[in-house]
Amino acid sequence: MFVLSFLARRLAQGAVIIFLVSLLIFTLLRVMSGNPVRQMVGGMAPDSLVEQIATQMGLRDPIIVQFGRYAAGVVQGDLGRSFVRPANGAATGGANFDDLTRGARAGVGDLILDALPMTLQLAGLALAIALVFSALLGIAAGLRPGGVFDRLAFAVSSVFISIPNFWLGIVLALLLSVKLGWLPAIGYGGFSYTVLPALVLAVELSPVLIRTLSSAVAAQMSEAYVAVGHVRGLSRPRIVAAHALRNASVPLLNLLGVQFSSLLGGVIIVEYIFDYPGLGLLTINAVLQRDFPLIQGIAIVTSAIFVLINILVDLAATTIDPRLEY
Amino acid sequence: MDPVLSVRDLSVDLTLPGRERTILDGIGFDVAPREIVGVVGASGAGKTVLSRAVVNWITAPLAIRSGSVSFRGKDLLGLPPRAMRRLRRDIAYVGADPMGALDPTLPVGRQIVEKLRAVMPEVSRQEARERVIALLDAVRIPSAHARFHDYPSQFSGGMMQRALIVDAMVSNPALLVADNVTQPLDVTVAAQVIRLMRELTERFETAILFVSSSLPVAREAASRTLVIDAGRLVEEQPTEALIAAPRHAYTRDLVAQIPVIWGTGPTMPAAPKTPTPKPPAPADAIVSLRGVSQTYRVKKRGSFAGTSELRAVRNVTFDIVKGDSFAVVGESGCGKSTLMRLLSRLERPSAGSVLCEGRDIADLSGSELLGFRRKLQLVLQDPFNSLPPRTGIGAMLEAPLRTHGWRDPKKIRERVRAVMDDVGLPVALYDDLPLGLSAGQRQRVNVARAMVLEPEILLMDETLSALDQTEQFKLLALFDKLQRTHGLTYIYISHDLAMVRKACNRIAVMYLGEVVELADNERLFFDPGHPYTRALLSAMPALEARRYRPEDCLMEGEPPSPIDLPQGCAFRSRCPQAFEACATLPPLLTVRGARDLAACHRVPGAGAALLAGAA
Repeated sequence: MFVLSFLARRLAQGAVIIFLVSLLIFTLLRVMSGNPVRQMVGGMAPDSLVEQIATQMGLRDPIIVQFGRYAAGVVQGDLGRSFVRPANGAATGGANFDDLTRGARAGVGDLILDALPMTLQLAGLALAIALVFSALLGIAAGLRPGGVFDRLAFAVSSVFISIPNFWLGIVLALLLSVKLGWLPAIGYGGFSYTVLPALVLAVELSPVLIRTLSSAVAAQMSEAYVAVGHVRGLSRPRIVAAHALRNASVPLLNLLGVQFSSLLGGVIIVEYIFDYPGLGLLTINAVLQRDFPLIQGIAIVTSAIFVLINILVDLAATTIDPRLEY
Repeated sequence: MDPVLSVRDLSVDLTLPGRERTILDGIGFDVAPREIVGVVGASGAGKTVLSRAVVNWITAPLAIRSGSVSFRGKDLLGLPPRAMRRLRRDIAYVGADPMGALDPTLPVGRQIVEKLRAVMPEVSRQEARERVIALLDAVRIPSAHARFHDYPSQFSGGMMQRALIVDAMVSNPALLVADNVTQPLDVTVAAQVIRLMRELTERFETAILFVSSSLPVAREAASRTLVIDAGRLVEEQPTEALIAAPRHAYTRDLVAQIPVIWGTGPTMPAAPKTPTPKPPAPADAIVSLRGVSQTYRVKKRGSFAGTSELRAVRNVTFDIVKGDSFAVVGESGCGKSTLMRLLSRLERPSAGSVLCEGRDIADLSGSELLGFRRKLQLVLQDPFNSLPPRTGIGAMLEAPLRTHGWRDPKKIRERVRAVMDDVGLPVALYDDLPLGLSAGQRQRVNVARAMVLEPEILLMDETLSALDQTEQFKLLALFDKLQRTHGLTYIYISHDLAMVRKACNRIAVMYLGEVVELADNERLFFDPGHPYTRALLSAMPALEARRYRPEDCLMEGEPPSPIDLPQGCAFRSRCPQAFEACATLPPLLTVRGARDLAACHRVPGAGAALLAGAA
């Protein structure tokens, strides 16, 4: 019963958030400079044709009407069509306006659905590597504040947090792909292509995870129930594994919900460096081409994912600690 | 009979660099099987360190310098951790902080089962579960089966302390160390817990080392008592002999400082200003409450948008006369802190009005509100968290003056010095930070901060409860002096009846948000009109013969929730005298004699619907 009411409340809130995000993005894109129709039809097309196509596409209607039309489509699962990309692949930008080989424009939904699994795979692997690494180091550090692992954790997270991800990406590609030939670097041709970008992302994620985990574990180990637990006759491994880590995982979970956004930001740069065909690459190209529907679609999908992940994180946190009320 | 515990020449040092000192010095005593031995002493005397040493729980920066703690002839202090862990089955410990003792994210029952199986691996999960439920039932936790699955945060302090006693007793230990177990509990609950421990020694043949900061509490439990002062064992006698004929000077002081409740001692209450008790005209009243209620909305967990009403204060009416020392007493959750917030206008009541000299304080704003704030000042409970740690004491006392428009630095400094002198703070502390101050001195700073504005009313929210007996004694003397020299009116919010007996002339007893009795000091302690007052008096730890016996005055249990108030009289679930009418009709405050009131159907004249509107 609690779970149902929780989900109902949070999903309703999430829907409102997604609506506001899309409204904001939609409006901002419309008031920005740059004429997408000009890009679509090419520089040689007469102004009258630009106007004609713009009117056909409804771009001359008031913003609120355009948004209404768009929102109605989104609710039915239709995120619109790309201004620029044809369904068959290559970008159309710069082609002649009367080029007959130009196919139908690609659906935004399809473009995103193609790229999203790639990005989820990348993000998932990065998160897994970061979590395993941070857990080993962070817990060891938290159990003995001031000890060897604590100092090591501090050093590692200081170094990691100061490495720029684009630099690390290039260096790792040089080292692991070019020199050693262990991992492929550019493009995508199988799971192994995910490893290198995931490593770069994991390095970016881990410092905060390590710090949070080590301070949370250290804080829990100084709680009264830990000391009393020894006196009650519980063994140390049992206290650490069954109680301290359980309690320390709550701040970590909350952090993960927030870190997810920085993960998405990191994905854009890392995918661009490694030419990894995910959502990040799609976003960059969409922005460069002023592909409004695609940018909007990506924004809506990412905000939806963000909302969902935070709901899941909070649900997991309340399951662990029943005192929390979200 | 061989002692189950024998401590010999035990010395413990604090080894913090620069702050080395001896905490315990050559302590030695025995505890026989099934015996309850009390340990009393002031805060800081080393009682907690002693109780930890007995369960082999001395950790850095504390270190054992010498001595032995033998359990059944085996010295614990040299045991390796593994061997010690096996002994945890026979040596149990319950501490003063029940709420922090268990993992907050797991059900209580599950954690007790975990402990039982950790010290007795041969017990099956099912068996352990049944045993825990049976014991939870035995310590009178209502519906133990359902409570087994509740989380620590769902237990009240008293319940949790019972659960921890179950946790300690579940492995049938030979020795239980109880370190100040009743300290965080309300008197009526504490009395129940002590009674429970006595029963348990008989049932499980467990010896108890009962550590307490209060001699009257230790007397309730222990047959023999040790007195510790500054780390040394100064006296050891059977409890009754210790109280009747203390040998050591420190013990004599300790006994002498216990306030006398019923006997005629030197501690008579401050007499009210009016020589002949007469119902005060409203004009005399400096503060009046008229039908004040406060209701909070709390979110219902697991519902979409549901809220419940928490009725913290219900229809409270009374007057405080100028020069009174008025006390509001009651146990935790009775609404006295909410009442404090209403009196000081931190909150406005949801119904009724609080009048100060005839003006409704809810209507005040701007400079009028500031004027009211000058007139009524608060003195807070916690001496440690109520002072900003990085502000000098002088600056702290100057701040209220600046807020209230003082500008001349010389005058401000003069005024602050005068106040520091008034409350007995050395003026040399002017530029010091509060870091090194004792709890008593910190409370003096708190009092000075209130007094600096020359208020007419001081609202003391549990101001003395964090201090030990000796410090309380001194501060009460200070309050008395200040009242005489400045003509102050005091409102004490307190749960400590002994303090109230000594310091206050008029007392309101609250239960579940209502004032159930309002009476002058003598009348309240010698002829209480409400059964709850009698229950409080019966549970109050005291050294003298009781006028009221707990067995007659108090039923087991704890107050119902203010969210789900019972019909009729709120106290009836714990009242030994409840009858049919109590279940349906809420009793009204009924006049008893000249100016005393009680809300009980048993009060003569209550049936005649004598509506008592104003006190």
